[in-house]
Amino acid sequence: MRDIKDTQSVSAKVNLVLTYLVMLFFTVMAIYPLLWLVMNSFKTTTEFQLNKLGLPQDWVLVNYQDSWVRGKFPVLIINSIVYTGITTVVTLVFSFMAGFAFAKIPHKATKFLHGSFIIGLLLTLQSIMVPLFLIINWVGLYNSRLGVLIPYIGIAMPMGIYLGTEYIKSIPTALVESARIDGATYMKIFISIIIPMAAPVGVTVAILTVTGTWNEFMLINILTSSDTLKSLPVGVQKFAGALSSDFGKQFAALVIGLIPMLLFYLVFRKEITKGVAAGAVKG
Amino acid sequence: MPRMHTLADSRREQNRAYWTLVLPGFLIYIAVMAFPTVFSIFLSLSDYAGGKLFGGNPVHLVGLKWYKNLFSDEYFYLALKNNMYIVFVSVFGQIPLGFFLAYVLYRGLVRFADFFQTMIYLPTVISTVVIGILWKSFFAPYGAFPELVRLFNPAYEYGISNHPMLPVLFVILWMYTGMYLIIFIANLQKIDSSIIEAARIDGASESQTLRYIILPALSGVLVTTAILAISGSLKSFDLIFVMTGGGPANRTSVLSVYMFDKAFKGAPRYPLANAISTVMVIISFLLIGLTKWVESKFGGRE
Repeated sequence: MRDIKDTQSVSAKVNLVLTYLVMLFFTVMAIYPLLWLVMNSFKTTTEFQLNKLGLPQDWVLVNYQDSWVRGKFPVLIINSIVYTGITTVVTLVFSFMAGFAFAKIPHKATKFLHGSFIIGLLLTLQSIMVPLFLIINWVGLYNSRLGVLIPYIGIAMPMGIYLGTEYIKSIPTALVESARIDGATYMKIFISIIIPMAAPVGVTVAILTVTGTWNEFMLINILTSSDTLKSLPVGVQKFAGALSSDFGKQFAALVIGLIPMLLFYLVFRKEITKGVAAGAVKG
Repeated sequence: MPRMHTLADSRREQNRAYWTLVLPGFLIYIAVMAFPTVFSIFLSLSDYAGGKLFGGNPVHLVGLKWYKNLFSDEYFYLALKNNMYIVFVSVFGQIPLGFFLAYVLYRGLVRFADFFQTMIYLPTVISTVVIGILWKSFFAPYGAFPELVRLFNPAYEYGISNHPMLPVLFVILWMYTGMYLIIFIANLQKIDSSIIEAARIDGASESQTLRYIILPALSGVLVTTAILAISGSLKSFDLIFVMTGGGPANRTSVLSVYMFDKAFKGAPRYPLANAISTVMVIISFLLIGLTKWVESKFGGRE
């Protein structure tokens, strides 16, 4: 009897150790490449050629100083903040306005309008890329901030509408009705009741819009040509992608490109994982 | 005496409020997504060759000419094959692996679950562009990968790979598995944990619990993630565009890179590019339909 118990606890221990080893393996796999990158960004290119896997012998900052200036990173970062900030705020406001109307104002057009937004969840960037490029050119918005922002807002809208409408539906209609009886306009109800109560789902929509917009690369690449209008990912690709042999500077540029999203992730970890799970349910 | 609100007044106000609330978003959406999608299909059936969109050379409909063109191009099949590899790695690599990791963390089989989850999800949040260049340098002839291999096999010499898609597929697996981990954890947490505890008390083993309680409860989520993986795989662009640009000799090209090249590299061939994107949408719908069919046929024991 005792023997069986012992073997059981031994095999349980072996299992536990194995489980930890497997988890540790995947964790190391996930972050080793990033650590490798950061580590090598502090080596000179000459040192990298001799020592590709080890720690730097002396940690130099010259790569960062060079890349920061030559890659025009201050402009790129400001552009990315502007694109992402405006897209997120406008998407939130417009999609919650429409979501409020769909959820709380009975209207015969709702079925069609809401339905067309939901179809938007299935539309692909590839299908709209060329037409959008032609249209933006035609209306004279090529290579302008507005010509980037309007597409970004339109693309983020379906997800905002979908999550917003679902959530606002769960706000008691009695609240809206009693405010109406008290004489409040729909705009006032939107601002003083709907926005505060829909704040939780607002965070989810904001997280999804921020990550999607910040990392967007394909559209801004074809809709702009000036360096002064590019976002951080495009700038990193242009600058670091061209440095095929100057690894030290390239790695420093990549680390600069990585830091904003890393910080955002570390601060909003909980909200991001919640948002990703909510956004994935769309099917 | 103030004017009384009549029912008709209130109706009118309601109607006006409705359109004020809906229209700003709807107009942008129509202009940016709905109309361009329809326009894309039109372009794929036309002979538009660049230049002024309206008032330039007249544009004619040419039927399925570009589709025929496309289906007789060997590079189309090469790109499609690579997309299918990505679909395969996503559905049979990312999803099972993501589920395994989520399961271990959810069942509390290890401590520090939060730490593991944070680290494994990390690659997903970083810009694809950064990831792409990082791995390009890692796998480069003078990068770290040949060096790493030499630690184990000193005789290794870098040569042009016969399987240029392998590094790409590896990076895709590396980058997105964390996303499925998150989706599965969120849905596992929705399962009533008292059912699992009751089963365990009744003597069900870990694998029986998984087989008879957890997997059936997640069948819907599995289908959703499969759909997500399929449509995501068919759309993948950024990573390959940055990491290989479709090279060497188009051998790592995928449909979206192939399409981008037709539209924006060299002389623009917009109709052909739009035929490609339309075919991509059709394939995606077919695969999603197939997934749903498989589910209705074999799954759904809830």
